[in-house]
Amino acid sequence: MTNSRKSAWRVLLGTAAIALTTTSVAYAKELTVGLTSDAVHFDPQAGEELSSNIMFYHVYDPLVRRDADLNFGPGLAESWELADDTTWVFHLRPGVKFHDGSDFKASDVVFTINRLKASLMANLGANITTATAIDDLTIEIKTPFPYAALPNDLAAILILSEAHVTAVGDTELDSNPMGTGPYKMGEWIKEDHITLVANPDYYMGAPKIDEVTFRPITNPATRTAALLTGELDIVQDLAVRDVDRVKAEEGFEVVTKPSLLNIVLAMDMREQSPTIPLDTNPMTDHRVREAIARAIDVDTISTVIMNGLSTPSEQYVPSTHVGYLPGADFHAMYPFDVDAAEQLMADAGYADGFTMTLDTTNNRYVNDAQIAQALASMLAKIDIDLQLNLMPKSNFFGYIRVPSDQSSFIMSGWDVPSGDAGSMYSVLFYSRDVKEGYGQVNRGSYSNPALDALIDQADSTADIDERAGYLRDATQILLDDIPMIPVHYEQDIYGARDGVTFTPRADKFLWVYDMDVAE
Amino acid sequence: MLGYTIKRLLQMTLVLWAVSVIVFLMMSFTGDPVFMVIPIDSTQAEIDQARRILGLDRSMLAQYWIFVSNMLQGDFGRSYVFGQPAMQLILERLPATMEIVVLAMLIAATVAIPLGVYAGANPGRASSRAIMSGSLLGISLPGFWVGMMLIFFFAVRWHLLPSSGRGDTVEVWGLRLSFLTVDGWRHLILPSVTLSLGTLAILLRITRAGMMEVTRQDYMKFARAKGVSRRGVLYGHGLRNALIPVVTIFGLQLGDLIAFATITETIFAWPGLGKLLIDSIYRADRPVIVVYLMLVALIFVVINFIVDIAYTLIDPRITVK
Repeated sequence: MTNSRKSAWRVLLGTAAIALTTTSVAYAKELTVGLTSDAVHFDPQAGEELSSNIMFYHVYDPLVRRDADLNFGPGLAESWELADDTTWVFHLRPGVKFHDGSDFKASDVVFTINRLKASLMANLGANITTATAIDDLTIEIKTPFPYAALPNDLAAILILSEAHVTAVGDTELDSNPMGTGPYKMGEWIKEDHITLVANPDYYMGAPKIDEVTFRPITNPATRTAALLTGELDIVQDLAVRDVDRVKAEEGFEVVTKPSLLNIVLAMDMREQSPTIPLDTNPMTDHRVREAIARAIDVDTISTVIMNGLSTPSEQYVPSTHVGYLPGADFHAMYPFDVDAAEQLMADAGYADGFTMTLDTTNNRYVNDAQIAQALASMLAKIDIDLQLNLMPKSNFFGYIRVPSDQSSFIMSGWDVPSGDAGSMYSVLFYSRDVKEGYGQVNRGSYSNPALDALIDQADSTADIDERAGYLRDATQILLDDIPMIPVHYEQDIYGARDGVTFTPRADKFLWVYDMDVAE
Repeated sequence: MLGYTIKRLLQMTLVLWAVSVIVFLMMSFTGDPVFMVIPIDSTQAEIDQARRILGLDRSMLAQYWIFVSNMLQGDFGRSYVFGQPAMQLILERLPATMEIVVLAMLIAATVAIPLGVYAGANPGRASSRAIMSGSLLGISLPGFWVGMMLIFFFAVRWHLLPSSGRGDTVEVWGLRLSFLTVDGWRHLILPSVTLSLGTLAILLRITRAGMMEVTRQDYMKFARAKGVSRRGVLYGHGLRNALIPVVTIFGLQLGDLIAFATITETIFAWPGLGKLLIDSIYRADRPVIVVYLMLVALIFVVINFIVDIAYTLIDPRITVK
């Protein structure tokens, strides 16, 4: 707001006004960020979507911190070790204070985890059996099985103050949040702005920016306009069509970063498939799956549909993740080749192709509907008649839900912010209905005992390197088997004015503590 | 009059009941709200737990019964997504919407009626034709395009007005109002103008049509012959007789803008009701949608009631029964 006034002044009064406004600005550093939507919650256990997640990490801290490039390190916990295969001991940082001045203690962690397990977000604590305070600064966490990725999981659990939550009550926590984080709640005018003010006593040192305002602006063109007028310093999700415009404007830059969201195509592996009018499901044949993979030209999708703002995905998880197999690339194993794909279809006995339906969203992923149309025309070349069933996300996730009785071919996105492929493989590829908490999102009903065994092994060691080894083997099996085709990672696009020091995070959670503005 | 009011109240109850049933039924087809609030890889046990927390584990009929009986005690239910009372979410956002709508309607009425009277009284003139062509533009240009153009010129190009948001507000009796601050006014102008264009054009055309009809009447010539000024004839006799359809449309448009200013609000990031409705539909947040649409129905009923009363004031020959 002050910025917009400044720009108007500049035009009206010329350089004199610039001198006037710059001298009148106090030495408090302020930053205004344009988000795509307002936060819904400030209670990290009441729900999650991007805007709320961004707020959570400003107000609260996790025990284990995840940096911009998904490296995991000490947060509220200074160090941790394994007591036995399923028992972890975390040593908490001494001297950390909540915003109200009270001490952060092990009992707050216990409270947080117990409350989490009874909440809508119980899933975040699925691999924690119990949490017990040994003393004020030591906490013991038990897992249901040896689980090497526990610290990664803990990066998503934000610590609440037991005294505060008890005092304000569950529903009031949204409007009156309090944690140990670098910023405190200033003012939240729904759908207009959220102002956070620096916590000078933050345990890693006072933030460089004193006050940050988040403004929800849903319409992408308005977001760009507000950046160009100087009302905003940074915008999230700059529209693809505005990229050139902002680049051309002096004083602004466009920053991109591959996101963690992998767009994948899940293929049905059941004997009969709901939308394929044949006695046997052709996709049970490896040759048909390979033909489909080879008929899809991910580079064309990237250049034509995504304007170059996507990165074809080599595997199911990005290279930063535990379980990534160095050197392996799905699209190098099965390069785009229509002739080879046709030959594979003929070998499998489907020279005349078949009909099936693709289920996907039309408002969830970048250009999802256009990608679906492109897939239909690519698969038409190998005589697969792909019907499109597009729907809004509010219908989609219920529609494709396991047992997925209506779906043969599903395009959806999957991201693994915990940085561990195991959390994806165990829910997406483990045989269905064998183990509680495994295979519940295995929509294609893929089942491979060798893969299940590797995941079991990964989930029975508390050693992260050993776990990584099993998961790499699992990646190899999946790349060979093709239960799913990885398409691309969307790219996150930001616009920022010059003078703002800002590096995007892999998990998309803008964190103002890492930013600075020039005086 | 009392009988009429009672009849209208009964009608209103019936309308509200029908809206609640229809929305409740429709929402059961638009997706399962549970999957909008929990992580996608939740296990069945976690899903069941979420359903219990949200009250979605009961049958549709039981859910509807709970909704109605709570409503009769003044509890309109809680949003699945926000966890807050649905009514509170709506009332928080109502003042912002009312501000741009009232301003837009004022702009529309003060511009459209004099222009309409002029164009109706002087149909042959070039200026009248220009006004009528202009009004066609007002009807045919989509609001989102006009809004984007206004932002482009007034905010980005000329730096005269802010592009979006509500600016500084002042709290009066718990309501946040922006028309009491200079910054607030600067933020109000563009969205209100955008919102007013369509209504302005419609009102203008209706006023003109009414005036053209009325100016041919004998009493108009008679009043003129009696020595009443031209201005007095046009506004005192002419406009008053042409006003009935104008008031009707004004009422309908007012309700329409309050309920569905969605597009303008989204473009200007205006923190009003419209965005809440869209977001709630995307998230299958039934409690908010039900209460919202019931409130909209209520607003329409009340506005139509006021319009009916206004008829009797404009034309004493009309009585409400």
